[in-house]
Amino acid sequence: MREKPRLRSIVGAMEFLNFLLILWAAWLVWRRPERERLAFRLFVVSCLLMALLFLVGTHGSLVPGVNL
Amino acid sequence: MPLSEDRLRAILAWVVIVLAGGPVAGAVLLGVLHGDSPCILCWAERTSMVLIALAGLFVIRYGPRPRYLGMAILLGAWGVFMALRHSALHLARDVGQGFSAPILGVHTYIWAWVIHATVLAVIGLLLLFLREVAPADGVRTPSRAGRFAMGLFVVVVGANALQAFASTGPPPFIGQGDPVRLSLDPRHWVWSFEELQPPYISLRGSWTIPVPNPTAADPDPAHGPLAGLPTLAVSRWERIGTPLNGALSGLARDSASGRFLLVADRYGVYLLDSTLARVLHHVVMDPGFSVDLWPLTGAAFLGGDTLAVTSTNKSWALLEPVPRADPAAEWRHFLSTDGQVSEVGLGRFQTVRAHLMYALSLAFDPSAQQLITVSVPNPRHHQLVVSRFARADMVLSSEFEPRLGPGLELAGPNRGLADYVVTGAAVADGRLYAISAAYSTLLVVDLQDRTVRAAYAVPGLLHPVGLATRGSELLVAQADGRIAMLERPRR
Repeated sequence: MREKPRLRSIVGAMEFLNFLLILWAAWLVWRRPERERLAFRLFVVSCLLMALLFLVGTHGSLVPGVNL
Repeated sequence: MPLSEDRLRAILAWVVIVLAGGPVAGAVLLGVLHGDSPCILCWAERTSMVLIALAGLFVIRYGPRPRYLGMAILLGAWGVFMALRHSALHLARDVGQGFSAPILGVHTYIWAWVIHATVLAVIGLLLLFLREVAPADGVRTPSRAGRFAMGLFVVVVGANALQAFASTGPPPFIGQGDPVRLSLDPRHWVWSFEELQPPYISLRGSWTIPVPNPTAADPDPAHGPLAGLPTLAVSRWERIGTPLNGALSGLARDSASGRFLLVADRYGVYLLDSTLARVLHHVVMDPGFSVDLWPLTGAAFLGGDTLAVTSTNKSWALLEPVPRADPAAEWRHFLSTDGQVSEVGLGRFQTVRAHLMYALSLAFDPSAQQLITVSVPNPRHHQLVVSRFARADMVLSSEFEPRLGPGLELAGPNRGLADYVVTGAAVADGRLYAISAAYSTLLVVDLQDRTVRAAYAVPGLLHPVGLATRGSELLVAQADGRIAMLERPRR
């Protein structure tokens, strides 16, 4: 049985979805350049999603497991 | 040579082509050809490269607006952090134990650092040479290279999306810490939530270990983890007959000469005569530089004239009394000295089972020629680990968690030996005697079969800091300089 996620807030935040957002932004830049504002917003959201996924992947430890 | 905006956009088109066509497309090819699958951190680093390329596309399309350049610099800086954080997971492993397959002898998490650092350098160079013109509003028509960069970007990111779908799954699944090789067969796809555990953000994660404070421990033996312990009464009290500059934190006795070794005042080391009344030698260690000795808590005689002291963080120093020490050479070792002590060794114990645990005790087993530490529990690692180090090279020889011997029972289902906080230890007759500041209990550990043979409640103690043997007696030191005499148990 698959485990349910505890962090409901990041449900939907995953790599596949992120690449789709990036593709969408790139498509707008390339084919619909007049939609610059939307493209930039997608860009920023994708950056934040990437950063959040990285933090999740480090198991909550912002700094490495070494002596500071 | 000033760089025009058109020139900048042409260069950026090639930067995007190199970035998307090189590491990002190469990563997909590695997956398809060799089954390589990125872990969740690799995914983030790869995505960051894609986003930097996307920032390049924005500049190609809309000109060098500050917000695009700012995003690219932020992504470069964040990418360097991610790569270093990722690499740190593998820094402490042994040779050849990096994660996944290396490319040109270097693992991908290191390449992520190289690429992000290069991106920052390229952005800096481009800005350095960019002609200072106010960026105009409006959409630019990309050059042929720019159009190729956009097409390539869409194709490469599309391929990454497909790989991400197979490797990490559709929403709401996310990437894995230990992925399996890429397969086009859906039966082999692993979609999981494992990286959502634990659900919190911490600064240091499992490395958040508080410094032990044995004075906060409950001294009442009746509350200890072992049930129905016999009592070992204090036969008498003695007191160190010379003033110490600070609180006592460790004790050892040399069975051959009867001398005592004390550590006190965080970094003070005292060699006393057999009466505990006269200081033979005294130094204050320099706790910093090279190896941090903070604060000293363990002491042992290693045979002959060699003295060993250890600090809470399992660092050690070896000292020897000498008729006349070289003041210039010893100045770097001691904050103060009587001029007749030389430091002959300095280092750190490396443990495996007791990793990320502090130790407040040191003993020396002369028959095995081993130094012994006993770990103290912390909120993240609740274990009592006996670690043994070879005297010859000070390297770990063995570690074990003692088992309970016959006749000993735990007081409850959630209790264990790790409830004890061992602050003093000594070896005699093949037994390790360990005194715990928590629950004022003496543990007798058989070093041969790694079993707790006996345990005794010692009422009347208040947060002991050291333990030594003298014939049939055990000497339990307290921070105030008082020493409790106990009859050494035969069992």
